[in-house]
Amino acid sequence: MKTADPITDLINNLSKLPGIGERTASRLAFFILNQPEELAKNLAESLTNVKDKIGLCKRCCNLTEGDYCSICMNVKRDRDKICVVESAPDLRAIENTGEFRGTYHVLHGLISPLEGIGPDDLRIAELLRRLQGAQEDEPPEIAEDITEVILATSPSVDGEATSLYLTRLLKPMGIKVSRIASGVPIGSDLEYTDRMTLSRALLERREL
Amino acid sequence: MLVKALRLRHFRNLSSIDLKPHPRFNIFSGANGQGKTNLLEALYLLSAVKSFRPQTNAELIEFDQSQASLEAHVERGGQERIVKIEIGERGKKVYLNNNKVKQLSSFFGTLNVVMFGPEDISLMKGSPSNRRRFIDRAIFNAQPAYATESMHYDEVLKQRNALLKGPHNSDRKLLAVYDEQLIQYGASIVQRRYNYLQEFKPTFEKTFQDIFDASFEAELTYELGWHSGPLNDPDAVLSDRIKIEQLLADALERTSGEERDRGHTLVGPHRDDLGATLNGRELKAFASQGQHRAFVLAMKIAEISHLEERYNFAPILLLDDVSSELDRDRNRYLFDFLCDRMEGQVFITTTHRDYILLDHDLAVFHVKHGEIEAQDPETDAFATPHSPQTYSQPLENSSSAKQEE
Repeated sequence: MKTADPITDLINNLSKLPGIGERTASRLAFFILNQPEELAKNLAESLTNVKDKIGLCKRCCNLTEGDYCSICMNVKRDRDKICVVESAPDLRAIENTGEFRGTYHVLHGLISPLEGIGPDDLRIAELLRRLQGAQEDEPPEIAEDITEVILATSPSVDGEATSLYLTRLLKPMGIKVSRIASGVPIGSDLEYTDRMTLSRALLERREL
Repeated sequence: MLVKALRLRHFRNLSSIDLKPHPRFNIFSGANGQGKTNLLEALYLLSAVKSFRPQTNAELIEFDQSQASLEAHVERGGQERIVKIEIGERGKKVYLNNNKVKQLSSFFGTLNVVMFGPEDISLMKGSPSNRRRFIDRAIFNAQPAYATESMHYDEVLKQRNALLKGPHNSDRKLLAVYDEQLIQYGASIVQRRYNYLQEFKPTFEKTFQDIFDASFEAELTYELGWHSGPLNDPDAVLSDRIKIEQLLADALERTSGEERDRGHTLVGPHRDDLGATLNGRELKAFASQGQHRAFVLAMKIAEISHLEERYNFAPILLLDDVSSELDRDRNRYLFDFLCDRMEGQVFITTTHRDYILLDHDLAVFHVKHGEIEAQDPETDAFATPHSPQTYSQPLENSSSAKQEE
């Protein structure tokens, strides 16, 4: 983009960020302008670094600085389960529960024909390659033997479509495929739970 | 169910309205273009979030203003709730008891309205989409969770149509995913509509005979718009979820080539219709104007009676200038029904006060240039004294008092 006025240029670029409108962008721009030069230099450096240094893990497509992400490199993780998630923030959410000891696979999106996103636009090919066994250039200490894939896409229409698609792909390969449950939030009041969630929870109830 | 107070700001031509409606009949009289229908639309929005007339958000906001707000205090089963919608040019924000609502499904069902307006008179003559809207609205009032279900179906439909139009339309695996979703959500919608119609039919048939003539049998049926030919035993099929799914799957299989050529989904409840007959003859082709109107009136009245009988609550009824569309006998029937056989609160607009055959339990308001004024009962020649009042205290006071309790 070419523009004669650097301030307008900065405002335009800032307002491309999610959740930032033109007014906030302008406030941020003038804030940066009024701060010592150091702030702007550091910020610029961080911004370039994040794009230069962060890439995708060669195995699970998580964001990482090296060839493989820290989860894939961790020898203590179980090597028989993969949890498939939509995005890196979703991975972090599941990781923060501390419940899951296997490894992940990040799709970087959900199937949505409306937005022109088909299966080829997601990291599905990488997942299939993983399931077919070790790649030549992989370090032997992180070799895996996957028996179960857990689909942890969100319970939206797109999330369901993506998980259905993967199920149809993976089941014939003889792999156990499971889907995260959806239901009533812990610690909440039934009375205030929205009806869709409640009817889903009833439908997917389990025997005690 | 009762609207105890209504507060509107910058909504269309209603720039500042504070109203304390009568628990029974509220009559809004005034010339055309003064804001009567806008008032009903506000109540409708507070119930369904979408309007009954197609519009953009900007059109809902008063000229020269950036935001409209609608707020109502609603009592149901002894509990009072505050529903509120803020409309900006970019979208709507919905609040329940001053908390922002994240999922609409938890908001739906707080306020239920049944609307009857001049455009409904041609319900049985117009396009099938109007009749689908009628039955969907009716189910939504009875079972609010239906709204989310039909929203999901619409989403799947949009995705599937985009897929059929797009570059991936020969990806059979991907299409199979959307087929499966369409079948799942679609079958559930067909079944819900069919079940509702079964419950609704007896009330409707009886109402029609009351209104029109006891020798006439009116019948409503559910018609699949994507099935080739009539069903052998519709009741056996439509009451069985598995059979509907099978039917949808077969139809998708049959039309798959055509769907890809035309680039949109040809199978599913978005193509269905309500069939109507009178003494076995098709209503559309054979009925007189009067029979048509009686038919529609019976549908609306049965919708309300059904809610009262089966779900034990009276919805708020919005009557938009209907009396001018009905003949004298039908108009008489409508008001007899409202007075004697229905309990709920009613909002009625009219250009002529004398069309409204009510003389007690009411408040009359005059609407002019977007302002609403309570009319002194003394000057209302048709009414016995009652004291309608506009709201003098701002609503904030009453809602903050509620929170402290």
